[in-house]
Amino acid sequence: MFSRRDFMKQGLVPVFAGSAVPSIFANGVAAAAADSPQATPNGRILVLVQLAGGNDGLNTLIPFQDGAYHDARPTLRQDTGVLTLNNQLGLHPNLKGLKASWDAGQLAIVQGVGYPSPNLSHFASMSIWETASVQGGIGDGWLGRYLNYLDKVGESPNHALEGVSAGSLVPPELRSKTPVTALQSLNTFRLQPVNEHGTQVDVENPLMKFYGAFKTAGPAPFGALLDTTLQEALQASQALQATDATYQAKATYPAKSPIASSLKLVAETIVSGLGVRVAHVTLGGFDNHAREKPVHDKLLLDLDQALAAFMQDLAGHGYGDKVLVMTWSEFGRRVKENGSAGTDHGTAAPMFLLGAPVKGGLYGQQPSLADLDNGNLKFTTDFRSVYASVLQGYLNAPASELLGGTYEILPLLKA
Amino acid sequence: MNMDDAAPTPSPATRATPIWRRPVSRRAVLATGAAGAGAAAVAVLWKGTDLSQILNRVQDPTRANQGALSDPRVRAGHLLRRAGFGGTAAEIDRFAAMTSAAMTQTVLDYQQTSNATLDAQLPTLDLASANGPLAGAVQAWWLQRMVQTARPLEEKMTLFWHGLLTSGLDKAGPAQLYTQNQLFRKMALANFDDLLKAVSKDPAMMVYLDTENNRKGKPNENYARELMELFTTGIGHYTEDDVRESARAFTGWTLQGGKQLRYTTDSVFVARLHDSGQKTFMGKTGNFTGDDIVEMLVPMRATAERLSTRLFSFFAYENPEPEIVRHLADTFQQSHYNVGAVVREIFGMDAFYSAKAYRALVKSPAELTAQTLRVTGADPRAFLAAANAMAPMGQMLFYPPNVAGWPGGTSWINSSTLLNRINFTNAAARRAPAASTAQTVDQLTAILIDGNVTSNTRDGLHAFAAAHPDDQAGLLFMAMATPEFQLN
Repeated sequence: MFSRRDFMKQGLVPVFAGSAVPSIFANGVAAAAADSPQATPNGRILVLVQLAGGNDGLNTLIPFQDGAYHDARPTLRQDTGVLTLNNQLGLHPNLKGLKASWDAGQLAIVQGVGYPSPNLSHFASMSIWETASVQGGIGDGWLGRYLNYLDKVGESPNHALEGVSAGSLVPPELRSKTPVTALQSLNTFRLQPVNEHGTQVDVENPLMKFYGAFKTAGPAPFGALLDTTLQEALQASQALQATDATYQAKATYPAKSPIASSLKLVAETIVSGLGVRVAHVTLGGFDNHAREKPVHDKLLLDLDQALAAFMQDLAGHGYGDKVLVMTWSEFGRRVKENGSAGTDHGTAAPMFLLGAPVKGGLYGQQPSLADLDNGNLKFTTDFRSVYASVLQGYLNAPASELLGGTYEILPLLKA
Repeated sequence: MNMDDAAPTPSPATRATPIWRRPVSRRAVLATGAAGAGAAAVAVLWKGTDLSQILNRVQDPTRANQGALSDPRVRAGHLLRRAGFGGTAAEIDRFAAMTSAAMTQTVLDYQQTSNATLDAQLPTLDLASANGPLAGAVQAWWLQRMVQTARPLEEKMTLFWHGLLTSGLDKAGPAQLYTQNQLFRKMALANFDDLLKAVSKDPAMMVYLDTENNRKGKPNENYARELMELFTTGIGHYTEDDVRESARAFTGWTLQGGKQLRYTTDSVFVARLHDSGQKTFMGKTGNFTGDDIVEMLVPMRATAERLSTRLFSFFAYENPEPEIVRHLADTFQQSHYNVGAVVREIFGMDAFYSAKAYRALVKSPAELTAQTLRVTGADPRAFLAAANAMAPMGQMLFYPPNVAGWPGGTSWINSSTLLNRINFTNAAARRAPAASTAQTVDQLTAILIDGNVTSNTRDGLHAFAAAHPDDQAGLLFMAMATPEFQLN
């Protein structure tokens, strides 16, 4: 298959006479439409949910029988309503949708996930998780490397929507050789050049020429970045506008919930059969150094309700068994609450994997509250072990090659 | 105080530093034999070749090629974009007639310039009522300042500080962000230690990073950590113990009661809330206050290099050469941490007007929006709409994505933000009063993009003008939709 990178490399900037839809875009749409989940050998989709700011793992997966938990959290502990998973652990009372998934065998929880020599900086730790390297840095993200791999083996769906992020920025996990698409809303994701009479003006063709010439005439790396981005943007917006008319949500998403809007956008992109391989959404606000409880309770409620609608929507469109959702956060929080009814930066925390592809249950080991390192939990499972399990066990990709090291594969996923 | 981290005694080479900044002074210095040991060592390499070329290669690899910036009008446009939000035709004319030194002087000594016209046009913000102004009103107010100010560098530095010492409306309130914004404006080019001491007691920052309830016996690490990681030294120069101990030093400052926390704009020191015990910070032990911590962090070389790199990257280009950082860090330390002195050095550098610097920055959404409105002309109602339009471009004022501010650079450009940038310029051009005055392709590109465009762009704009002779706004839009306009 003529890969997107080949297209970029050859720098083909066709001249499109008299057509608002350049032919290469039409091909892109056609290729995308043929790219139904059944049509490719690997139609599996991974959706990452980032809980930004450092989620309080101890108030998410709660060791409700542990006296040390109650001692460490005089004002923040959850005393009532914990959704018990066994006689030691339970989910936060607001995670009712996730509890239902647990009961249906579609929620895997990996306990105590972290890495050696934990970094308590948000940004250093995020970078470590995003690149799957304890050095962090600005290289390709771990899922970007997966997209590079798909391209290399000819399994790339060959258009801008194989990697999708909800929001205005592309997250570092998805940094790759080929651009991915940041989406905020389908309404705004198109050129809107109308003149004062409300008539559409053809600007795509002139702009393609401007940007095409600037690709080499402009300063590196900006000339190429701008040209490639414009091409990707026009291609993806054509595909999305064509399918937007037909999408009907098969679930009711909560109103006024940014995470629900993000997941709905991702669902629409997925069920429209546009060949999404990896998607990323962010729920921010977890850095609760003060007055944590009301904020954290609300965040978990929003997360739970949005995920429940998302899974229902996907299932309603026949995508239930083709999507895996995975949550992550740069770190958990200090075991002992601080003097502001909040928690400072911590270390290990649980990760959730959600969907029909998972083998439900608890994995790894709950960190001990009696054996701490400077007040912080000692991690029991390396996050790269979870990544490796997903890459190898779900995405059928060479985990060791993509992660630059070999990590234990956890049996989190069905074959 | 750790003297190891205090300003170094200038070496002879450092005293002679400006030699690589301007060809004239470099030659003059060498000709009179006044060059120090460093320059003498360089001169050893000189075997009959033009000395200035060798110096360029050794000391400042970016100086040799000015490229488009050898043209005075391009230099004027470049400085006006970098030090502000782009020039009008009249401003470009005025600056192009000046020497570079005079341009720098004009930009930097903005206190001499009256802003009475702007002040007369700004709306009155409701600061007296219990909850203060709405968020949108403060955003529109600041955007209007960027567009209409007679002191562009003052607003540009305010934007710089908002990106570095950032706070956001996700926690703090609009009146607090307004107060912080005014602080940044007042201390735009001040000494960095003074600024950080003020920021440590700034209500928006106190809410954003939780110092307002950092109490004796109940320390909260949030501010102390980010002060070191993001505002001063960066990672690698402090320990987790330094974080914990300095958090204790910052106890005692809190917000005046009476109003809800996020609407309170007065901070106060309450002695009984301050932990006056001994703290051990950076190997020193004492009864430190927050100001003491700032006074220990600011003189550190890591702080000087980090802030210098950040300023140069904001104004000139990213990843500056080590010798540039060294020179700016020396300037910072020898001027008692004066930010204005560093900015003056940057604008005086050949590197600032080098080919490497030209169009080497991506316009931030704030820069794109403000320049667009400066060029199209904006009526009072335009500012709120434009401030809202910045969100899908990836930068809503007073809503940084997190305490590290906006990552900037190439991250401003992705498929979604590029479409939104182009759509915004279209909407602005369509409602522009200026569009009623016919302007030629050459006039438009001269104002917007230095008249320096590819032949494809020039031919395409002419073709558009020929095909749409009555659509002046469309032509203005097309000129702003160019790839050239996306860069600064």
